[in-house]
Amino acid sequence: MSGNFEVIGSRAPRKDAPNKSTGKARYIEDIKFPGELAGALLQSPQAHAKIKRIDISKAQALPGVVAVITAQDIPDVKYGVSPARYDETLFAVDRVRYVGDEIAAVAAEDLATALKAVELIEVEYEPLPVLLTVEEATAEGAPWLHDQFPDNVCAQVEQEFGDVEAAFAQCDLIQEGSFFSKRQDGAFIEPNQCVALMDSDGVLNLHSSTQVPHYVQRTLAMVTGLSMSRVRVVKPYVGGGFGPKASATPIDLAAGFLAMKTGRPVRMAYTREQVFLFSRARHGFTHHMKIGVKKDGTLMALDHQATLDGGAYSSFGIATVYYAGSLLGGPYKLPNMRYHGLRVFTNKPACGAQRGHGGVIARALFEQQMDVIAEKLGMDPIELRLKNMMETGDVTCNDLAMSSLGMRECIEAVKNGSGWDQKKGKLPPGKGIGMACGFFVSGAGYPIYRSETYHCTIMIKADEDGGGIVVYTASAEIGQGSETTMAMIAAEAVGIPYEQVRVKSGDTDFGIDLGAYSSRTTLMTGHATKEAGENLKAMILETLAQELGIDQSRLDIKNGLVKISGEPVDFSAIRTGYIKEHRGWQDQPSGEELTFREAARLAYLRLGTLVATGKYKPPVLGGKYKGAAVGTSPAYGCSAQVAEVSVDFETGQIKVERITDAHDCGQAVNLTSVEAQMQGSVSMGLGEALFEEVKFDGQGRILNPSLGEYHIPTVMDMPETKCIVVESGEPNGPFGAKEVGEGAIMPTIPAILNAVRNATGLVLDETPLTPERVYLALKKQKGA
Amino acid sequence: MLLPSFDYYHPQSLPEALSLLGEMGDQARPLAGGTDLLVNLKLKKLAPKVLLDLSGLEELQGNGTDEGLVSLGALNTASRLASGGPEVPGLLAMGAGSLGSPQVRNRATLGGNLVTARPAADICLPLLALGARVVLAGPSGQRQVSLDGYFKGPGYTVKEPGEILTHVLLDAPRPGVGGGYQKLGLRQAMEIALVNVAAHLELEDDGKTVALARVALGAVAPFPMLSPGAAQVLQGAPAGEKIFTEAAEAAAAEARPIDDHRGSAAYRQDMVRTLTLRALRQALSQAQGSKEEQA
Repeated sequence: MSGNFEVIGSRAPRKDAPNKSTGKARYIEDIKFPGELAGALLQSPQAHAKIKRIDISKAQALPGVVAVITAQDIPDVKYGVSPARYDETLFAVDRVRYVGDEIAAVAAEDLATALKAVELIEVEYEPLPVLLTVEEATAEGAPWLHDQFPDNVCAQVEQEFGDVEAAFAQCDLIQEGSFFSKRQDGAFIEPNQCVALMDSDGVLNLHSSTQVPHYVQRTLAMVTGLSMSRVRVVKPYVGGGFGPKASATPIDLAAGFLAMKTGRPVRMAYTREQVFLFSRARHGFTHHMKIGVKKDGTLMALDHQATLDGGAYSSFGIATVYYAGSLLGGPYKLPNMRYHGLRVFTNKPACGAQRGHGGVIARALFEQQMDVIAEKLGMDPIELRLKNMMETGDVTCNDLAMSSLGMRECIEAVKNGSGWDQKKGKLPPGKGIGMACGFFVSGAGYPIYRSETYHCTIMIKADEDGGGIVVYTASAEIGQGSETTMAMIAAEAVGIPYEQVRVKSGDTDFGIDLGAYSSRTTLMTGHATKEAGENLKAMILETLAQELGIDQSRLDIKNGLVKISGEPVDFSAIRTGYIKEHRGWQDQPSGEELTFREAARLAYLRLGTLVATGKYKPPVLGGKYKGAAVGTSPAYGCSAQVAEVSVDFETGQIKVERITDAHDCGQAVNLTSVEAQMQGSVSMGLGEALFEEVKFDGQGRILNPSLGEYHIPTVMDMPETKCIVVESGEPNGPFGAKEVGEGAIMPTIPAILNAVRNATGLVLDETPLTPERVYLALKKQKGA
Repeated sequence: MLLPSFDYYHPQSLPEALSLLGEMGDQARPLAGGTDLLVNLKLKKLAPKVLLDLSGLEELQGNGTDEGLVSLGALNTASRLASGGPEVPGLLAMGAGSLGSPQVRNRATLGGNLVTARPAADICLPLLALGARVVLAGPSGQRQVSLDGYFKGPGYTVKEPGEILTHVLLDAPRPGVGGGYQKLGLRQAMEIALVNVAAHLELEDDGKTVALARVALGAVAPFPMLSPGAAQVLQGAPAGEKIFTEAAEAAAAEARPIDDHRGSAAYRQDMVRTLTLRALRQALSQAQGSKEEQA
């Protein structure tokens, strides 16, 4: 694809690389304020209980304790993620619903004292029945976790597109299968932490490790009763998020209240165990699918049921349950689709969004069944996929418009890149090869709250001497590289070298940005940045055109130089002026072309400080049906992967030896960052496929709340990964760019499942594929 | 997570350390690499009043060989053991190399692994199979204890609170001797074994007959255990698949695994069989290799 770009598509070094590689990057832990108090939370040891009595007197009396707050001390405001399902209070009012539910918070002179004070708070509980599974929570007579949600049903979705029954009647083969996955943890490297403090303007400042400064600002304002303009959220460097950091945490809110109450900065941090307790990560899913095809392989219909074990609160769950259905609309031509989704409350930490939100396990089962169908029809799995593949311009039965879709190119790339034809069916015993496809939104089409707000605004200011520009964005650099991306987009748009761009991000004072979730930043914030850059360029060129007395259309800026078309123009007066202003400087502008520096300086002299802005919200998107807001996006990124595995028949161990991965990101802004997202997706998908499972005991306590016992892949577990970047050119994306962060994870689990099936003949229906699960399945297969 | 407060001592000699330990009794805990102790302090599983840092004790450092007997200082790090060398049997190097991650191995010590005495300890299993003895120094002098009999339970050994583990003694590596180490876990690093097996084989001069064998099993009993049945089956028999299969069967029969969230007892039992067989094959190949090398 790569158009005539100067910066876009390169491997520009990341803006944060020097700081991060030398340990100079400042995370919340590194930022200290004078007079800080340490905060600590009291969390419920019971999974489900009435609170009969709370006595904080002993905690208050402990020397060094400055404040103790419970539900009685704060406004009675419910919050959550989706306004229609606000079901959380910061502190339990009369009931706790999971082990970890927040009851009180303490601020003290030091952390040891705060923790001691937490232990001194007396709570009398009256145990209630503990509901740990969907079956228990939906059983006849089970108590309701929330009065406003009868029968513990958090959300129920019924959708039908086309006529599924009529389509099944025309099918030659109807394939059915089920899948069961386990709850995951986000396992980001930096546990959540924050510091809140009131400033002298009466603004509550919250510095927090978050993906979404804007939503945290809104929630904190709403819960404390402050106006939005009296709350500022700042995000320093963040050590990963992957979804669970996409909403305000109880420590964000508690630190806010404690700072307001004490007038001092209050720091609160989760331990790793508390990260597991807060959770908000991947749900455990149960899927059942019935897929109908004609004997030539034409996909006709899908009947799909999904049940999500949601945990104690809604969190992102309403979006999760919709995504679990809607993301099967593509990338295959599927004319008829019925979806029944159910999310149920249980007495466990609430689940929420995690990379590939809602769609990962649905995709895994669908792609696994595609392979089974291919085998039954005597087709190669790639042939079956290509036969049904959508193309650019196609619209799914649920109104998702594929404005660009390089799916076919991705499939060809992994087929050739993996040596599929030489390997498929020709591997020695114990080895297997499998492939899968997937796609994901390039930004949620709508904000979480109903609003016509812009999704992002950008402000670019030129340095007064014309030496460069500063991009101000409230977007969230969380390690994914968005500062670098915005610097590259701004450089391209203005026409200056990347090195001349600085980025200031992650501060709600800089504008609006909905944050780093739903793979939205490159496309959406990128659009706003491009617009601001182009506006700045236009301001500079308009001034320059007037000064030179020529038509503006003859002027452009490229790589820091002013390009003048047509007859030569005498700009010596501008240059002389600049040089005179900078007598004594070593780096005076020279050469035959006027520089950006001189042009921008001239514009400043004429107009004052040069500030240009940009903004973005998606155009009106398709879908009028209930739930259409989840899944519709201005663009979709797509992926194909081939996995090669070896299976140890004696132990059940699976080793993923190689992944060949192709992703269509429209246009790579930074090629290295695109590949890094692809590798990160493989790592996360591999962990979910093989290792990761949050386990509970019979009382709802987590058995493995540490990264020692909750297994994410180490570098030693990573397969050889070949990344192939496909660029289809997205018309709705800035410079043709769209997402890579989540679409890239979609094929990983099913590609591994299909490779394992190729090696063993087993259609495994439960992740993670631990050695024991695989061993037992092999044993059963042998016995059968 | 905060460390609780404690007093910290940094004795410069073994007598000084023993005397401090004698004064403070079970209020004090010796500190070596801290990979286990410091974590447990943070988790509030332990709350000693005093930490006695052993890093200043030269008596616990260094390795030597004397008349076919290797002496390894308790402060050898796992990294040091994993890198091998003339004094370190291959089996021990394999076990040490599979412990934790490079960062953990740079801190974790030989003595720490033995004192912590976890059921799947990556250094304990090879040492048990190698027939190692530990040297325990106490107020009334030193004593040597065979590892077969040293372990008492998870985290419990015959070491008295007033004693410090100073050395490990074992036979020097020699031709005709080989070891095998098999560790089954979910991932390739930072992993506590679901089951691990260390096998040690000594061959007669014919290069075939088993002169002596020991098979140590991990994560299938409250502490690292030897399988006497496997040893008995192997001793005097010609090394090979037939006898190894029988030995693996004997080891599986003697394993006493339990169900826990990491895995079921039945699976572990089956895996003892598989891993024992593999460890024995590996040991044989090493023993025969070392024989050939010498020839």
